[in-house]
Amino acid sequence: MNDPILSLRGLRKSFGAIEIIRGVDLDLRAGERHALIGPNGAGKSTVFHLISGNSAPTAGEIVFDGQRIDGWSPQRINRLGLARSFQITNIFPKLTVFENVRIAVMRPYRLQYTFWRPLDRMARIREKTEVLLERLRLQGQAALIAGELTYSGQRTLELAMTLASDPKAILLDEPMAGMSSEETAYTAQLIREVTEGRALLLVEHDMDVVFSLSDRISVLVHGQVIATGPPSEIRGHQGVREAYLGDEAAA
Amino acid sequence: MVLAGTTVLVALPALLPGGLLNASIQMLIAALFACAYSLLAGRAGMLSFGHAAYFGVGAFATVHAMNAVGGAGLLPTPLLPLAGAVAGLGVGLVAGWFATQRTGITFAMITLAIAELLHALAPQLKGWFGGESGVSAMRMPAWGLTFGSTTEVYYLTLAWVLASVGLLYFHTSTPMGRLALALRENGHRLRFLGYDVHGLGVAIFAISAMFSGIAGGLLVVSNEAANYVVFDPGLSASVVLNTFIGGVGSFMGPAFGAALMTFFSYAVSDLTRSWLLYQGVLFVLVMMFMPSGVAGLIAATGRLVGRHGYAAIAPVAVLVVIAATLLSAGSAFVIEILQHFFSQDYRSLARMSGRGSAILLFGHAWAPAAVSTWVWPAGLLAAGAALAAVARRRLAALDRDPRPDKPGAAAQADAEQGVP
Amino acid sequence: MDPIVVSLLNGVIYGLLLFMVSAGLTLIFGMMGVLNFAHPSFYMLGAYFAYTLQPLVGFALAVVLATLLVGAVGIVIERWFLRRVHRYGHAHELLLTFGLSFIIAEAIKLFFGNYPVDYRIPKSLDFAAFAIGSQQYPVYRVLMGSIAIGMFGAIYLLMTRTRVGIVVRSAVYKPRMAEALGHNVQLVFMGVFGIGAALAGLAGAVAGAFYTTNPNMALELGVMVFVVVVVGGLGSLEGAMLASLLIGIVTSLAVAVDRSLADMLAIVGAREWAEGVGGLMTLKVSSLAATIPFALMLLILLVRPTGLLGDKS
Repeated sequence: MNDPILSLRGLRKSFGAIEIIRGVDLDLRAGERHALIGPNGAGKSTVFHLISGNSAPTAGEIVFDGQRIDGWSPQRINRLGLARSFQITNIFPKLTVFENVRIAVMRPYRLQYTFWRPLDRMARIREKTEVLLERLRLQGQAALIAGELTYSGQRTLELAMTLASDPKAILLDEPMAGMSSEETAYTAQLIREVTEGRALLLVEHDMDVVFSLSDRISVLVHGQVIATGPPSEIRGHQGVREAYLGDEAAA
Repeated sequence: MVLAGTTVLVALPALLPGGLLNASIQMLIAALFACAYSLLAGRAGMLSFGHAAYFGVGAFATVHAMNAVGGAGLLPTPLLPLAGAVAGLGVGLVAGWFATQRTGITFAMITLAIAELLHALAPQLKGWFGGESGVSAMRMPAWGLTFGSTTEVYYLTLAWVLASVGLLYFHTSTPMGRLALALRENGHRLRFLGYDVHGLGVAIFAISAMFSGIAGGLLVVSNEAANYVVFDPGLSASVVLNTFIGGVGSFMGPAFGAALMTFFSYAVSDLTRSWLLYQGVLFVLVMMFMPSGVAGLIAATGRLVGRHGYAAIAPVAVLVVIAATLLSAGSAFVIEILQHFFSQDYRSLARMSGRGSAILLFGHAWAPAAVSTWVWPAGLLAAGAALAAVARRRLAALDRDPRPDKPGAAAQADAEQGVP
Repeated sequence: MDPIVVSLLNGVIYGLLLFMVSAGLTLIFGMMGVLNFAHPSFYMLGAYFAYTLQPLVGFALAVVLATLLVGAVGIVIERWFLRRVHRYGHAHELLLTFGLSFIIAEAIKLFFGNYPVDYRIPKSLDFAAFAIGSQQYPVYRVLMGSIAIGMFGAIYLLMTRTRVGIVVRSAVYKPRMAEALGHNVQLVFMGVFGIGAALAGLAGAVAGAFYTTNPNMALELGVMVFVVVVVGGLGSLEGAMLASLLIGIVTSLAVAVDRSLADMLAIVGAREWAEGVGGLMTLKVSSLAATIPFALMLLILLVRPTGLLGDKS
């Protein structure tokens, strides 16, 4: 339980001459909820891109479930059990909510090339989809077109799709972005429920959520992790206050 | 509705004379080609501008099968399009593997280049493609039929087209078919859900190419000849135009568009030499003002009728039809006058007679320089434009009308018809 | 040796011509994200406009006017067609420009007929510039090459050294910011599109007199331009230059090779086998010259899918 399921060792990423990630070390333990916070431009989304295979690191290691995954393609990483959501909602807007989730659900069944059986007849997939929709309280909107959901509905759908493959580790990129405080509280509770037993790495700006939801927090400033620890420790950390207050005063 | 349509199609030979029956065969083939193309371009969102390649490959494979196998033996005449299917599938797999490495415009350019490659290579490889005169063959009797008459060829074509379109329709309900939609919507996300997006693209490409090959094979069975002209970029262009004029929002839209356009090209080919120009103009107009195509227009009209009832819609519809007719007549007038004016025959005539002579059009002689000539199209266009403006205002007013039923119902109806 | 030098020179000049057209396409795409299938049509229009104007105002003025006219057509297309469908997405824009290219080709067939027209270089320019060995090298080819180079230099200077260039580049990278600073971004886009079109038109006006001018020239060149853009990398001007020259030189040299693959395999003693295979093996390389760029494109896709100098999009 204490062996990290995901570890980043000396991770570096440069875009041309600019080094965005300058040596990041981070451990995500199995089953823990770990938040990654930091001022704007610190590189949090870049870290996610590196982990999930969107881009390859310039140097360093990413080890997931005992395998080195740096430089792997996104689909390979996902199949290994690491799923991510996106900061900008990344769903299938013209398909129904049900279809959106079903597509995510059916991937492990290796049906990609199946052209001889209708999908609607596959009962097991339908059931799994319905179960997932219920868990995320989307079942009432299953027949709606995804693009017409409310913003927070779409974020919830995004979450559902990320969960569909039953991943061992989840990366959530600002799931609460743009939500009202009610929606935020609701979504935070949802996240707490559905990530039970999974490892969660969360990027989020809402500090209330971060402090109440996470087991541990890492702080990323200028491409480096300057502190890692439980919320109580981070709250009182001098370097963290400077990074945040310094930046917030200027902002 | 499907049953009614099929019954009509089956009864067609009894209703039509021989020449029109031939045209019907061409319409069926064009419809199948468009349906196959639409799987790739409409549902999966991968715009191919070189699809004639797979049609042509299927055609040549079939003509060689016709010659090699001689009708009896391995491949009886009714099963000949299978050769087209196999060839289309094979070439589609290879071409698709390359092309789907990229997306969007680069994908389109690659498909264009592949088709042009075949077009350039074909006349050189005389063994396979027969050079200038092409390759010809003869339909052999099989299964107790001679396949000598147009009617028999029609039924053969109909059977294949119905079966293929049926299979393509079935495909839309399979996992791969649903994934095609997802690929169009957000291929990027599919990757992060664990899907092998490249493999999916290749599979869809290959299936589309396979059915295109069948269409090509059917053409050869009907024409008993294949020529490298079948790789012409014009054929790739026409399937694109047909598909989108018909509308990719519905399954039958492209087939319908192809049948319509093929019919028109037959009907007006005696009246004008500029048919392709008209088709291009229609396509651009559709792209700009009716992006969901003719099928989408019909569906939208249906929705409007559902919301407001026939009584409210009928006057606007009539207005629209009149406006469209006036605008078309005016434009056709201008184009035809210009076409005649700039044609070879007219210019030699003018040179001989020394000055601009009259142009014969619509059974009347028009002097190209006279104001009276141009007053007509100007008038038609102006009247058409005015009516179109009125119609547009009326339609806008209808849209603003509060709906009599539940607020969610319209959205529901839209969703049902919007999703292919 | 001399024929090789001549072929090389011809290839470079053809490559520069390709570059003139593909530069506009890759510039417009890289900057505006606009996918213009009708770009090679601008090339064709330039040739036809110049052909029509030549008997009226003489060659030089015809070329200049043709360039300006095509630029105007480009602006019209951007303003009244492309802008309208921008909201439907890239695929839609591509389809619209495809339709426009189709209409332009058909319209040209209507006005000028479905066969080549007699657009020729004026006698005053039809002489030899210098001799390479026993071969005379026509001055017009040199002229075409110089115009292409001159144009490239002018664009480069415009983009990097002038205020206009800076405004354009800023409008491209951060259109809203540039707008907030008071620049008319719509105008900039229209201008960039118009200039890209004019470049292609200039290439057509100049090249059409030397090569043939016919309604298919847009498609023939267009396919080459697209291959250049795939090989060079979409959005990369340097890539377009490199790929254009590469394709120009390889095609030109291949046309001069009067042997077949079977002949060349004779070196390793495999000639009989190759001739037994027949088909592609026995075709002369010169006949296959037109297909070599495609082979190159497929090779690049295998080895380096983002193009020679392109970046990951």
